[in-house]
Amino acid sequence: RGLAAGPEMHFGFQTVTEEERREKIYQVFENVAKKYDVMNDSMTLGIHRVWKDILVHKMNPCPGTLLLDVAGGTGDIAFRFINYVRSVRQRQLQRKLKHHQNLSWQEIFESYQNDKFNNSLGDSQVVVCDINREMLKVGKQKAQHLGYSEGLSWVLGNAEELPFDDDKFDVYTIAFGIRNVTRIDLALQEAYRVLKPGGRFLCLEFSHVSNPLLSRLYDLYSFQVIPVLGEVIAGDWRSYQYLVESIRQFPPQEELKAMIEDAGFFRVDYENLNFGIVAIHSGFKL
Amino acid sequence: VRCQQYPPLRALQASAVLSGASDEHKKDSWASSSQQHFESPPAGHQPEEKSQGPHPSYTGQGGQESEDYESEEQLQHRILTAALEFVPEHGWTAEAIAEGAKTLGLSVAAAGLFHSDGSELILHFVSECNSKLSELLKKEQKLVQLGEAEKKPIDEFLRDAVETRLRMLIPYIEKWPQALSVLLLPRNIPSSLSLLTSMIDDIWHYAGDQSTDFNWYTRRAVLTAIYNTTELVMMQDSSPGFEDTWRFLENRVADAMTMSNTATQVQSTGEAVVQGLMGAAVTVSN
Repeated sequence: RGLAAGPEMHFGFQTVTEEERREKIYQVFENVAKKYDVMNDSMTLGIHRVWKDILVHKMNPCPGTLLLDVAGGTGDIAFRFINYVRSVRQRQLQRKLKHHQNLSWQEIFESYQNDKFNNSLGDSQVVVCDINREMLKVGKQKAQHLGYSEGLSWVLGNAEELPFDDDKFDVYTIAFGIRNVTRIDLALQEAYRVLKPGGRFLCLEFSHVSNPLLSRLYDLYSFQVIPVLGEVIAGDWRSYQYLVESIRQFPPQEELKAMIEDAGFFRVDYENLNFGIVAIHSGFKL
Repeated sequence: VRCQQYPPLRALQASAVLSGASDEHKKDSWASSSQQHFESPPAGHQPEEKSQGPHPSYTGQGGQESEDYESEEQLQHRILTAALEFVPEHGWTAEAIAEGAKTLGLSVAAAGLFHSDGSELILHFVSECNSKLSELLKKEQKLVQLGEAEKKPIDEFLRDAVETRLRMLIPYIEKWPQALSVLLLPRNIPSSLSLLTSMIDDIWHYAGDQSTDFNWYTRRAVLTAIYNTTELVMMQDSSPGFEDTWRFLENRVADAMTMSNTATQVQSTGEAVVQGLMGAAVTVSN
């Protein structure tokens, strides 16, 4: 065989083989896992929280939804999902109570019993799947620390080959993860496979800024500030250099939309946040 | 009332065929007794999705294909119809749509296809009611033409038409005020207004030639006013069988009739006065 063990791919601005890319990315996240959240906050000045909030609002899940959060390592989307569903459930229960104004004590007692049975999430569940053990570890610790226990599970898995059956999930999300997947087309196909008919695919990812002035400022910030922050805060300049480069290498909005359509999704469209710094792509399995 | 002429399995069939293009399709287990076509899509599913054009649907075109092939629009239509059943409980919300999607065998995430304020659901309902009204009026007209029924005097005709249409709101009357407010959102006004005017026009059309007393615009305005005011009265009405509302309706229609008579009277009186003046002027000049 030749020198290359596989097709040429990009790792940031370097050219590597597929295998090498997977390894390198694994190492990147192994290194940054503990400081992942801190770095997110400092790099995006906390705005990443708003982006993730918007993603969950767009999802507008109702109780009983089964969510698969891929590359969800530290659990940001999962926790937001749980909070959202919990508050929707509260409102539902309040409405039910308003309806039944004249309840006997027996009925009230029974209704409390039922609620304990159907947990406060109304049977919603989120499965967090990540390829990186370190990221999952950090996520589990966070969950424990913040008090999330119900409706949450952690699975080690590869987005290109998900360890789940067909037609299982209502929603599939991948937030800031698809950029790191080596074969995006495979990940999209897997997403299609594990979604139920009618299920929704949501992808939150850095994308391309079309405004030229903003684009210049953004580039400046990305290449000058972020790796420095990486060195100072996480002691790892290289990983953050990779991060910034990978954003540039990632396909722009329209291209990603076409790829999602190729995987079989319908009603694919995207919403730019902050002028295209970040975009949310959405598609349905119909 | 569930509009389920087709069992839930059909949704799965439809989705299986919609996505039937990809070769890696593992949906063989769904190959039911009827037709299952894994035809290669014409250049992806794009034409079907974008143009919403040819609907070789249930009308029997093209033999076998027609029954399985379903456009996105039809699927949305079916979801909304199924969702109506859940409106009394959940209101005109994404939750009702989610429940509706569930009954069709789709994931609850399919509610994401629509706006979260339920606009599409309400507009769908209004348009369905209008179609039902048209059907009833057409049937009535046929009976009159065949001589099997008496032609109603105009005021009775209008009263019956408006009452029939308003009675369709009764199962949803609790949540209807909410629907009205959504219909008034700027985004929805064009559609809701056009639905309203086409319904009013329909009623006048079937009212027949008796409507020569009014000119076209006054006719529209008068009946729209009658309909809207009666609808609002109905929201507040707690009398048994809504008898207060029907009495109000009767009075308004009667008012409209007298108004038209008064108008013609005023007109003819006006003409008479003008003639008198002319005569006086001629006499004086001579």
